[in-house]
Amino acid sequence: MRVDSEYAIETQDLTKIYHARWSGGEVRAIDGVSLRVPKGTIFGLLGPNGAGKTTFVKTLLSAVRQTHGSALIFGRDASDPEARRPIGYLPENHRFPTYFTGAGMLDFYASLSGVSASRRKKLIPEHLELVGLSQWGAMRIGKYSKGMLQRLGLAQALIHSPSMLILDEPTDGVDPVGRREIRELLVRCESQGVTIFVNSHLLAEIETLCREIAILHKGKVALTGKMHDLTAGKGYRLTVTKPSDALTEELRAKATSMAARDGLIDFQFPSRELVNTAVDLLRAQQCEIESLAPTTSTLEEVFVRTVEKK
Amino acid sequence: MVTLALVRDTFREALTRKIFWVLFGLSTLMILFFLFLLKIDIVAGATATVSLFGRPTRGSPDVNRMVRGVYGGIATFLYTFGMFLAVFASAGLVPSVLEPGRIELLLSKPLSRAHLLLGRFLGNILLVSLNSIYLVLGVWTILGAKTGIWSPVFLIAIATTTFIFAVLLSVVVLIGVTLESAAAATMITVALMIISPILAQTNLMMRLLSSEWSRNLWRALYYTFPKVYELGKMTLDAIQSGTFAGFTPIWTSALFGILMLGAALWIFQRRDF
Ligand SMILES: Nc1ncnc2c1ncn2[C@@H]1O[C@H](COP(=O)(O)OP(=O)(O)OP(=O)(O)O)[C@@H](O)[C@H]1O
Ligand SMILES: [Mg+2]
Repeated sequence: MRVDSEYAIETQDLTKIYHARWSGGEVRAIDGVSLRVPKGTIFGLLGPNGAGKTTFVKTLLSAVRQTHGSALIFGRDASDPEARRPIGYLPENHRFPTYFTGAGMLDFYASLSGVSASRRKKLIPEHLELVGLSQWGAMRIGKYSKGMLQRLGLAQALIHSPSMLILDEPTDGVDPVGRREIRELLVRCESQGVTIFVNSHLLAEIETLCREIAILHKGKVALTGKMHDLTAGKGYRLTVTKPSDALTEELRAKATSMAARDGLIDFQFPSRELVNTAVDLLRAQQCEIESLAPTTSTLEEVFVRTVEKK
Repeated sequence: MVTLALVRDTFREALTRKIFWVLFGLSTLMILFFLFLLKIDIVAGATATVSLFGRPTRGSPDVNRMVRGVYGGIATFLYTFGMFLAVFASAGLVPSVLEPGRIELLLSKPLSRAHLLLGRFLGNILLVSLNSIYLVLGVWTILGAKTGIWSPVFLIAIATTTFIFAVLLSVVVLIGVTLESAAAATMITVALMIISPILAQTNLMMRLLSSEWSRNLWRALYYTFPKVYELGKMTLDAIQSGTFAGFTPIWTSALFGILMLGAALWIFQRRDF
């Protein structure tokens, strides 16, 4: 077993088929998902409702058993309980038992993660402070508001200093200021080398936070890539038939990004001057121009384009 | 350490339920009753005057018999009403852990599913046995101090009630992980308690049942199901006469419990949450 992997998460053809108990119908919640999440990055998993994001995460954590395929966490098979030790998890729609106080809840989950009693004593107040709940630690969580529960859940995910955070809709129910605080907290974790895997619908949030994303659609990976490649921002996209290698190199130097697909090449140019220069060069060599369009690519556009295409 | 955390969590949750407090409250009432209301003056050896609510009872009862009677009563209470309350109070403790939103987080921790479920099971048994220990040891100490009779055989009630509770709890856990229903778990477990004295009439039924296959069916049922009634009767006999006879009810009940718990673990391992 490779325990020292360069990937925090590595799945191969991961598939989960749910069988309806009575009707015999089946749902392919995730269908052949192969995904690699490098260590130390913030990775966003996007997708419309029912795309299989939660199922994917639950499979990683062995709450759901995959139908076939494999999942590795830091190189360890995900079905091994030890593989979960370096993970801090915040589930979607969590329900913490209401008999806990905030501090008691942190104490319980930290002890399950193997944090010693003396460490817990020190870490609990620190983490309550970290998520802005210092004054509320002694209150029963039955009386917490939704946003407070979310913050507490985050503290719970962080308290055993995990190497990876898996967060399913982490800012759900949190007010805008709280959201920014959470984002800042996550960026700080990243700077300490923690890998962060986030599921979210909030595209603007993912866009400011994540370095890499994958879009899941109907259980399949529809798109993956680095954020700055996918959202090249304002500019022009020029699609042409493949020019000579020398010209391709020249244009690549001018373009912000380049992507090849079946015989055509997409160039993304940041300004009108550059795209016009490119057109001149291409036409001088008799290259066919397929299309030229201004782009204002935001993650939202990428998302909609990906999901509607299918 | 993880086991301790799971046990503590089970305690914490159980004590939010009023029925456990009713059980502890009843035990406390009984202890207080023997502590303050029962006054026994030993005159000479076996005879004594016993006063209840301050008034002497008529005649001079045999103290030894009286003490055994009290022990028998306590054991019967623990065994019937106490057991029913304990099952009723415990029935929700497994389904509550399996609630969506709670189980995912527990499963994400670095412990096996078996550990998680057995931690709950253990915590639940400990809590109920603490009540047995409290009541039995309390009454035993008080009566011992008041009468000078320290018969250790009464302490057997702690072991038998805990044992039968563990057997019944394995059914509660199995139904908890399959149906996730506290009501179903209570009903089925109480049904097992109720049919136990009926199934125990084997000798009678062997004479009444006409065909061989129906007699075999009866025997099969008798040996399969936990022998709640017989173990209770054996406990009473032991208290009254000091003899503990027959180990078949013990091992057959234990086997039943192990099978139920094994099935519960097997199913729990394979479920998706
Ligand atoms: N336990 C289950 N039994 C049967 N089908 C399920 C189960 N859990 C999820 N599904 C189905 O699997 C599909 C994917 O669900 P999942 O919860 O993973 O989606 P999601 O991407 O997290 O959606 P959302 O954005 O709404 O949270 C859905 O069609 C859902 O109905
Ligand atoms: Mg989801």
